[in-house]
Amino acid sequence: MSDVTQASVVPRRQQSAAAGPAVPARDHGRILRQLLWGVILVLCVAPFMLVFVISLGHKIEGASWELGFSFENYRRVFVGANWPEEITYLYLQKLYYSLYYALIAAVLAVVTAFPFTYLLTGLSRRAQAAWLVFLLSSLSLSEVFIVMGWDVLLSNRSGLPMVFKETGLTQWLKDVGWFGQLREWGLANPRNIKFKTSVLATVLTMAYLVWPYAVILLYPPLSRLDRTLTEAARTMGAGPWTVMRSVVLPSLRLPIFGSVLLLFVFLLGVYVAVTVFAEPAKQTMAVSVYEAVRGNTLNAPFGAAQAVVLLITAALFLVAGQWLSRRGS
Amino acid sequence: MLGLELERIYKDFGSTRAVEPTDLEFREGELTALLGPSGCGKTTLLRMIAGLEAPSGGAIRLGGQEITARPAHKRRFGMVFQSFALFPHLNVQENIVYSLVIAGIPKAEALQKGARLLDLVQLGAFATRRIGELSGGQRQRVAIARALAQEPAVFLLDEPMSALDAKLREDMQVELRLLQQRLGITTIVVTHDQREAMTMADQIVVMSQGRVEQVGAPKAIYDRPQNAFVADFIGKANFFDAVIEGSRLRVGAALIAAGELRFVSGAEVCVALRPESPYLDTAEVEGTQLSATVTFVRDVGPVRDIHLDTEIGPMVVECSRGETGRDFVVGQRTQVTLPAAALHVFPREQRRAA
Amino acid sequence: MLLRLFSRVFLGLCAIMVALPIVVVSGAALNSGRTMFFPPREPTLARFGEFFITEPVWTQALANSIVIAFCSAFLAVLLAWPVAFGLWANNSRASRLLAGLGSMPFALPPIVFGVGLGFLWAFAGGLGTLWAAILSHAALFLALPLVTISIGLQSIDRAHLDAAATMGATRAVTFRTVVLPQTIPYTISGFFFALVLSFNEFIVTFFVSASAYSTVTLQIFNSLRNGYTPTMAVAAITFIVVSVVVFSAVARWGDLPRLMGAEPSKT
Repeated sequence: MSDVTQASVVPRRQQSAAAGPAVPARDHGRILRQLLWGVILVLCVAPFMLVFVISLGHKIEGASWELGFSFENYRRVFVGANWPEEITYLYLQKLYYSLYYALIAAVLAVVTAFPFTYLLTGLSRRAQAAWLVFLLSSLSLSEVFIVMGWDVLLSNRSGLPMVFKETGLTQWLKDVGWFGQLREWGLANPRNIKFKTSVLATVLTMAYLVWPYAVILLYPPLSRLDRTLTEAARTMGAGPWTVMRSVVLPSLRLPIFGSVLLLFVFLLGVYVAVTVFAEPAKQTMAVSVYEAVRGNTLNAPFGAAQAVVLLITAALFLVAGQWLSRRGS
Repeated sequence: MLGLELERIYKDFGSTRAVEPTDLEFREGELTALLGPSGCGKTTLLRMIAGLEAPSGGAIRLGGQEITARPAHKRRFGMVFQSFALFPHLNVQENIVYSLVIAGIPKAEALQKGARLLDLVQLGAFATRRIGELSGGQRQRVAIARALAQEPAVFLLDEPMSALDAKLREDMQVELRLLQQRLGITTIVVTHDQREAMTMADQIVVMSQGRVEQVGAPKAIYDRPQNAFVADFIGKANFFDAVIEGSRLRVGAALIAAGELRFVSGAEVCVALRPESPYLDTAEVEGTQLSATVTFVRDVGPVRDIHLDTEIGPMVVECSRGETGRDFVVGQRTQVTLPAAALHVFPREQRRAA
Repeated sequence: MLLRLFSRVFLGLCAIMVALPIVVVSGAALNSGRTMFFPPREPTLARFGEFFITEPVWTQALANSIVIAFCSAFLAVLLAWPVAFGLWANNSRASRLLAGLGSMPFALPPIVFGVGLGFLWAFAGGLGTLWAAILSHAALFLALPLVTISIGLQSIDRAHLDAAATMGATRAVTFRTVVLPQTIPYTISGFFFALVLSFNEFIVTFFVSASAYSTVTLQIFNSLRNGYTPTMAVAAITFIVVSVVVFSAVARWGDLPRLMGAEPSKT
């Protein structure tokens, strides 16, 4: 903390020689610094601390809770409330679905965003700026709106199922016998195909949700990729696909891996898409947190415990990713 | 008149010494070039003079008055940076009057002075241009005008020509020198280009590895290099190793007559020879004659470099056009004459690659 | 040649995919009935009137959204500046830690941060107030101006600071005349990023509002289970238009590719 008290408002290098120290300014600097630390600790750190503290407490009658020190809530998350008489993995299953959806959606988003970003960085700067405006607009669009759009698109009364029916695709699927297979996968009802509610719809929407993020994450490494590298490879007789496989992909292994990881962590917290598109039995931990804290069950400490589990899972993946990428580089 | 003086100035960065203790004098109204290869400490020295870097020890005096502890913004030595460091958010005129405006000089007065400076650097028509719209040469003029606006006691330039292309560089060197002489301002230029230093400077300070190797007028440094580093760095030179034998030098089987020597017999020395000093195929000049074979001819117009293989090793001889009428072809045998006065003899261990 | 064609088609497909739900939502806004259809039946612009003028539920929500977005973005910039500056000027362990802590809410799942903020304001007594939402969003989106301002500060040539010093500028003057003007575009970009994301934010708002008031995203979410109405689609259109306008402005006055991490353009 001694660094903190050594307040300065100008780069150190200049400080060494330029302007002599003005004592009152230094005092102001220290006050400002302490204030800043205070604000950030309260606003950015305290909420996470509170979640942890409250997760050790317990619920009392009347939808309220009190502080305590027990791991009862965590026990419930991992092995169920009635352990050891009876073991249930209900919440671990929710965690499993959190990871499952997030992983598939993150990989899907990066796999499709990569070729797009590669092509994007080859465009003129103006075109790139236009695309970025478009992507950022889509990215900043609330989860709520995107889910709404896909909901309309995938709903049975309008959208894609209607298109399938009207164009005769449904009939064709029935004729070739694939319809039965779709029904087994939960992608059809007796009369027509359906997308809601299914794992497919959930994962697709989640992938869509983070797709612009994937582009934004891949954009810096791809735009800084030395194009003479690929040109050199081409002069040595490598075709476009060989260049991609032997030069571009290997040199971008780390950014690609990092992007998947960040999107994955982000997707762990997705709420709206899951509630709308996932089947009731396949909901995620984020939904469960919401239900416990603000929904029907109103058990804040239990919700907090699940949030902590979710947070630790996210942190573990981030740390593991860091470790892997450091080993890889 | 007293100019700027450095006394035992040195600088350490952590455990590495960037500038060895240095004594230097910059006379009022003169232009001094700090010359040396990159990493020799010349820029650090300049930054200490500007007040941008605090010396680890020693004193700086201006007109007899100690200014070592005075911060950069109180010294107000105008400085031109390598990248020019023009403020992109200000136009040409605003850049130039920056120092006046922040000193609180009324705007009208500042702009008037700015206009005079713009005329001085021949950019009168560019007052309201943005920096991004200027060419490299124009940017340099703006940077010079901006540094001069505050009428500094000392004018500093850090590699001012490095961002310009070769043709423009030569013109600007002459122009800058003329401007400096007209204003009579004490000026220090950092450069790694010996031609640039010789074009502009009254005094050259040759530096290497944080140390001053030689101080002197350009011609004196060229004609009488004090050590092998200076001989190598300033101009071109042929080098060969020799052993002293009385008043002569032994190189392999050959014995070469040298001028006055300050070495005892048997001393191992290094000899430098400017390429323009030997003569080819003439009996009229006094000196040691060696037989040689032409290995390569480089004709760049005004001069020809004849590469020779001699008894004492490879050698390059420079002939200006008209000096020798005859042509040289590869494989031709010839005689090369080395005048005794042209041989610069240094102790062996001094030689370091530039 | 085939490859070029392929890349064109691929880029086009991506554009369609990104635009598809947006187009659908926008089209649905033109429905005259109470339910959403696409393509819209009996197109009308009446829903726009409802959203902006006549329906107090929506107009109040819109007003709240705007207040929260502007105030929190402003606050985020105000907080981010000294943090970014400390990072740039000192790059000490303490300043890096501070920047890291400040970016944490944005990097971790928002639902956890939302739950935590809910607890925080329950303790501090701000639950259900607008100012709590403003502070919460400022903390959540602090990372955005922090990043843009840091990029801006890094883009300043340190020689500019030396140059100013040799011309008589003290630290304070250098800051005012050199550092600040050169980082203003980046500051504004950061402000807009925070603004737009706050405008669209849902989870954190949900936890700190405690149903005492509503914003547009909250309002839409609340009516999620009752089925969509075309008025919600109008809200969506409004949001898209705001985003496009804001980011176009950033692209127009700032260097958007640079902000997103491309090499500085050579102009």
